[in-house]
Amino acid sequence: MSNLTISGSQSTPAISGDWEAGVLTMTGDSYPENSFDLFNQVIDWVERFLADGKRPLSLELHLLYLNTSSVRAIMDVFDLLEDAHAAGHPVAVNWHYDRRNERVAELAEEFREDCTFPFAIVAHD
Amino acid sequence: MKRDTEDLGRRIERLLATPEYLDHPLHVALGQLWHAFLDQSARLERVTHISDGYQSLAKQRENDLDERFQKQLRKLEKLARISDHYQRMMQDLNVALSDASNRDVLTGLANRRHLMHRLKEESERSSRSGQPYTVAMLDIDHFKQINDTLGHAAGDRVLVEVGRILEGSLREYDLCGRWGGEEFMLLLPGTTPASAQVLAERICQRIRDHACAPENNLSISASVGISAYRHGEHYSETVERADAALLEAKRRGRDCIVLSAS
Repeated sequence: MSNLTISGSQSTPAISGDWEAGVLTMTGDSYPENSFDLFNQVIDWVERFLADGKRPLSLELHLLYLNTSSVRAIMDVFDLLEDAHAAGHPVAVNWHYDRRNERVAELAEEFREDCTFPFAIVAHD
Repeated sequence: MKRDTEDLGRRIERLLATPEYLDHPLHVALGQLWHAFLDQSARLERVTHISDGYQSLAKQRENDLDERFQKQLRKLEKLARISDHYQRMMQDLNVALSDASNRDVLTGLANRRHLMHRLKEESERSSRSGQPYTVAMLDIDHFKQINDTLGHAAGDRVLVEVGRILEGSLREYDLCGRWGGEEFMLLLPGTTPASAQVLAERICQRIRDHACAPENNLSISASVGISAYRHGEHYSETVERADAALLEAKRRGRDCIVLSAS
């Protein structure tokens, strides 16, 4: 029953988890000094949310550059969603990108491989 | 084997049950031996059963581990693939940034930063090889007037057109760029001031012929100052002499070329 708020910086994404709405948003670049510390909070929050009944959860991602450990953390989050989806929990990911930066969409597609839950890649002008 | 044991069992049960053998000295021993045998058999069964259980447990665990290992491997491959992709994206971005930082936005020519970098390189090369290079500074005549009377958009178009003429007049290893405002620089490796002058004359002619202020067909001209690099000097001195020669060309009434004394 708690919101997650981590303000962004040049090297870390802004992260906000809205417990009531069931929406987790991440925006920006991610190449933190310690990605374990940063994403552990995210993974904890997602785990707690998924353990608390079966309310829908959606991830709204506006991520640009990710370093390797951030890629790994995002894949871990998707693994959680995949397990939840297999257990009948309604989860979804919307990966937003700027139409001028088509490569972000290609990367989102690579993330989407082997994910069976709803995963949309959404272009913006 | 099992059938043999069963047959033997039946025979022994029959022998032990036969009344006339009851008092035989071997009867008790056979009976005890037979029970010991049955005990051992049962124990062997149990041990085998338990052992099989352990073995299938181990096998199950091996399969689980293998499955988890394969899953981790797939994940690692995916991680490497995505990470490489991000890295390529960064590299391309670096190239684009480096390109942008060396290019003049309006004309697409080299900017002052890039020209300075090349001047430094050419000076070093010239010092090593003894081969000279020449710098030509070209300035569009009465450019302020074009801007003031026809507007900055028209001025920009003239700059772009002059840039295109310069670019089209050079050899592959020459470099032209926008030094600032309406001033352009040509950097001509392995070129004497005399051949630079021939090139400059050709360029000035093209500018007179082609670069017109669009709205009222105002003819455009340019002035040029040329200097040659002197062995051992800093390139800024070469540029200063070309600038001084350009000033002299302006002073002589513009639309002309002046060579710096070498």
